[in-house]
Amino acid sequence: MTTLLKVDNITVHYSRLAAVRNVSVDVSEGEIVCIVGPNGAGKSTTLLTISGILSPTEGTVTFGTKNITGANPENVARMGISQVPEGRHVFTALNVEENLRIGTRMRRDRGEIEKDFNMVLEMFPVLAERKRQSAGKLSGGEQQMLVIGRALLTRPKLMTIDEPSLGLAPKIVDRVYEVLTDLRNRMGLTLLIVEQSSERALKAADRIYVLRSGQIQLSGNAKDLRDGEKVKQAYFGFTEGVKHVGEVAF
Amino acid sequence: MGYFIQVIIDALSLGSLYALAALGIGLLFGVLRLINFAHGDFITLGAYALIVPAYGPNAIRFVADFHPVLLVICTILIVVAIALISEFLVFRPLRYASAATLMVGSFALSYVIQNLIIMIYSGRPKSLDLWSVLTEIKFDVSGVDIALLPLLIIAVTLILMALLVLFLKRTPWGVQMRAAAEDFKMARMLGVRANFVISLAFVLSGALAAVVSLLFEVQTGILTFRMGTPLMVFAFIATVIGGMGSLVGSVVGGMAVGVVSSILQAGLPPEVRGYRDVFVFGLVILVLLLRPQGIVLSRAARERV
Repeated sequence: MTTLLKVDNITVHYSRLAAVRNVSVDVSEGEIVCIVGPNGAGKSTTLLTISGILSPTEGTVTFGTKNITGANPENVARMGISQVPEGRHVFTALNVEENLRIGTRMRRDRGEIEKDFNMVLEMFPVLAERKRQSAGKLSGGEQQMLVIGRALLTRPKLMTIDEPSLGLAPKIVDRVYEVLTDLRNRMGLTLLIVEQSSERALKAADRIYVLRSGQIQLSGNAKDLRDGEKVKQAYFGFTEGVKHVGEVAF
Repeated sequence: MGYFIQVIIDALSLGSLYALAALGIGLLFGVLRLINFAHGDFITLGAYALIVPAYGPNAIRFVADFHPVLLVICTILIVVAIALISEFLVFRPLRYASAATLMVGSFALSYVIQNLIIMIYSGRPKSLDLWSVLTEIKFDVSGVDIALLPLLIIAVTLILMALLVLFLKRTPWGVQMRAAAEDFKMARMLGVRANFVISLAFVLSGALAAVVSLLFEVQTGILTFRMGTPLMVFAFIATVIGGMGSLVGSVVGGMAVGVVSSILQAGLPPEVRGYRDVFVFGLVILVLLLRPQGIVLSRAARERV
């Protein structure tokens, strides 16, 4: 498999504080890769650096063969990385259809857009019913579907998603992951997902990285880490006293 | 009855000018979180574009002698060009600065423009007669003369607002602008170009300023290097009481300020009429105390870029 995204040894500072130190992440074509870790571990920082919202003080980000370190977010998007950031970020001033179509403006393949648009509406029928409604009126789960659909309509080579489960009922989270896995299986979409719950990550991902205190503590195939012991150790930095590794704690 | 109609029309026409100026400020605030105090100077420059840049005491007509259609187009193009140059030289380097820094930048720009005008055109007021026939045509309504100009100002304002709404609601560029105004980072992550959207906002803001210049020039017939400043001040107040970041709020605020000023002008006893603005600003303070978020609630004042 060819490497699609290579994050090489990046360090990212917020003013003088390093949020992420010497982090390296690889994503190959067609893979689902999860970055897990507790709050404040630097997961979102890593994603925002990939999409060009933040610039690393050290290290490089390579997408395909292009060095995209410090590129503008709009140029990163135009190269084929679509990010669904934490907190969904629907445009409430726009209706559902306008939200969906906004990312299609940069596409060169005009003829394919309508096909993709219909595909997204088929995938998420609730969006079709509410095309003309303000996106702010949708429920949390519907908004998550909307932003995933919106990202898909840019026809990305790589989609990065920050905490797709945040603030959603478990049943809806199941549905979101179902959709994501389906996208990979059917369309070969490559996914980089940030997740707090390591259980979810181990279930959905091919490979995972555990990030804590701004550094990668562990990485490997999800298959090999399935029992969760090593992950737990890396996630908390200790195992004593951690009896149950559940949805909430993780 | 006639007098009443006259007051109402004057009030709406003044409100229209404020609303147009406030829209120019509101558009930039929406995408850039910039409160552009140089907007008044864009308006001034639109009027000065009508004459030959010369230091002498008299205004030598230049664009002012063009065919009206060409005159409007030229004035708009000149102000739009100045707005774009300002963006490039002043606001682009400050893009990631705080809103306060941007505002101070706009003060500096305003100061530079005013002093350039003094250097090039001299600081003396110059009289320039432009389409004064519009102020002379009058209709008789129940014994009171109503001039054509205020009606024209109201009509132009309504048309421009309708065009702006159509642009923002119906065109892809307009949708991009609305998206960027709400969440600039997210819009960029979907491929919306920051430079493009911000330039577009400056183009629209400059075009609106140019129209205000022309309407205001026809009304007053005089050019001064600070002619846009009072308009800017009232328009800024309009955006604040209307609700920063909401374009509807800018229009409502502009109309409110214009109408209140005109009604006070007509209704105050003659001895205190000279202090009209004290009453206007007093009312503004009252509005801010009672409803600090502005008349129209907006999604505004969030983090920028």
